[in-house]
Amino acid sequence: MAEQPSALDTAFAALAKFDWGNDAKVLQPIDAAVVACHGNAGQRTDLENRFTQLLSQPISRAAVEYICRKLCLIGTAACVPTLAPLLGQPEHSHMARYALERIAAPAAGDALRKALGTVPDELKIGMIASLAARRDGQSVPAIAEVLAAASKAGQTRLAVAAADALGQIQTAAAVDALTAATPTDAAVAAAVVNARLAAAEGLLAAKQPAKARAIYQSLVSAAAGQPRAKSIELAATRGLLACAEQTAAS
Amino acid sequence: MSLSADQHPVVPQVPSSPRRASASRRDFLQAAGGTAAAATAAPYVLTSKALGDAVTPPASDRIVMAGIGIGNMGSGDQRAFLGRNEVQYVAVCDVRQKWREEAKARVDAKYGNTDCVATLDFQELLDRDDIDAVHIATPDHWHAIMTIAACRAGKDVYLQKPETLTLREGPLMVAAARRYGRVVSGGSQRVLGDYRGIVDPCWAGEIGNVTSIDIRVGGPSQACYLPALETPPDIDWDRWLGPAPWEPYNPGRCAGNYGTGGNSWRSYYDYSGGSLTDWGAHHFGGAIFAADLRELQPSKVTYHPAAADGKTPAYVSLTYPNRVELCHNRPDGLRPQAGPSLDHRGSVVLHGDGKPKAAKTVPLYRDGERSIYGDFLACVKSRQRPFRDIELAVNTMTAPHMIGIAYRLERSLIWDRASQQFRGDAEANRLLDRARREPWVI
Repeated sequence: MAEQPSALDTAFAALAKFDWGNDAKVLQPIDAAVVACHGNAGQRTDLENRFTQLLSQPISRAAVEYICRKLCLIGTAACVPTLAPLLGQPEHSHMARYALERIAAPAAGDALRKALGTVPDELKIGMIASLAARRDGQSVPAIAEVLAAASKAGQTRLAVAAADALGQIQTAAAVDALTAATPTDAAVAAAVVNARLAAAEGLLAAKQPAKARAIYQSLVSAAAGQPRAKSIELAATRGLLACAEQTAAS
Repeated sequence: MSLSADQHPVVPQVPSSPRRASASRRDFLQAAGGTAAAATAAPYVLTSKALGDAVTPPASDRIVMAGIGIGNMGSGDQRAFLGRNEVQYVAVCDVRQKWREEAKARVDAKYGNTDCVATLDFQELLDRDDIDAVHIATPDHWHAIMTIAACRAGKDVYLQKPETLTLREGPLMVAAARRYGRVVSGGSQRVLGDYRGIVDPCWAGEIGNVTSIDIRVGGPSQACYLPALETPPDIDWDRWLGPAPWEPYNPGRCAGNYGTGGNSWRSYYDYSGGSLTDWGAHHFGGAIFAADLRELQPSKVTYHPAAADGKTPAYVSLTYPNRVELCHNRPDGLRPQAGPSLDHRGSVVLHGDGKPKAAKTVPLYRDGERSIYGDFLACVKSRQRPFRDIELAVNTMTAPHMIGIAYRLERSLIWDRASQQFRGDAEANRLLDRARREPWVI
């Protein structure tokens, strides 16, 4: 007599045909298994394999989304080769990032970095934002390059995203890249200033007031003529006061 | 997620000031004494409305406002601000044409002209130098992006609750507000409006030190697999979705009603934390204010599994650094049976130790204002922090967000406030945030 499929097998069979409008109750055994596999590497690997196998088949966009949501929680380096090709596909790029952004394995960062150099321009903002959320220091040269190129090409939104990312990554290289940026577009210039302020705040939080002070002083000096110059001056001046307080307290 | 050695903690230390960060249009006009403006402006006839009267300030002293997200709650907010004499309301933004037009009509009717600008692009409003403040009442998945953008554009913000959708958004929003010296008020009008019956006696010391709190409210949001329907022409669906994953249009996905049973955006994970954060923003807000926990964040999240007999459902409790315990849907039989308590309609119950405790003055809205809208406007003028300052709102919202994560993972968690991470649980940390759909990123 043939062995009866488990509830999990049945749910995965349903997932292969799943689409919007279907009753999601059929997927509940998968939901439960994803939660239950915490601390059980074997179960986790089994689930991850099942998901990646399905992703390699022709399944609906709804099913791809469902799988990416689950890999967001339990994915490891093992699923990266399956997710990485989706980064360049406009229909799936975001959900691939949805999973990859949250997977700590270095392979996930590698995939996002590699994609930044290959995906269409309209998807680059997503790669940059995910690398920023990961605070991926290795991506700084590539993001700085995007900042410069997009500024030059008048791609304001992309350049702003690149500046924002450098402000979130906050490594010494990111700070240097922001200092070296020379945008002419007002919105990009404002984003670079914002990113430098954010970087200075990070330095203050890391108890490095001298480095933070250098950024604030440079912003005060350069504020004249910038859009919202008064706002920059005030923000940087507040920063200088905070640096002085921190230095005095140390 | 591991950080390299040269990276810094995730929580920025933002130098803050309660004072105004940028010169406004009014400041400029006052400083210039009207001369520069008169020299460059087209001929202009000062109307009696522009000059003001006994109850209405002159136009140059009014707070110029715009609204973003003018559906259910947004229309209520708009009416509240429109009713204030110190406000000059100039623009509305919504991705639904009908709501946009209705909102514009309300403004035009108030001023007797057709000047109100209606747009579906919020950045268009933020780029205007003449706008001082915006109110935001979009679904939750837009809150952080819009609030941060508004702060960067030099606008003060009144933001509907729940202020955040994820735990990571909170510190970023606070940082933006502090960096640019903006007034950012959360928008739970009920915290002070509805819960005074427990707030006042609690602050008066009537139950002694609060030891535990019970909150009864619905659970977290759910996944949405509603069928794909044709998108109607009066909604910009891509903008409605914004940073959320692309999903097909269905009215049940985006309806603005207050239900969480599957027929509104409040039901669904991509746009809301469900009842837990929606009505929860009020209940948690009231309870946390009453117990004076607004400056704190929970340090421990305990998942209590359902009993094997199926009669006692799972529930989650939080422990604050001062040992106050806050429980979500703790079964009645497990609640403290002795000692003094304060009960708000069964939905919020505070339990105390009954020990003598000195009374404290309840902090109220600024300048004697009687509504959260008035409080916000008073702070826009004075540059003080509002009653539901964004930092206090973010602290408050950490509670239901952590509870939601514990329910999803079915396990207990330890929260490290300094790093804004769960300690020793990499999977839980994956739920601190989610990737946003390009180009709507933060």
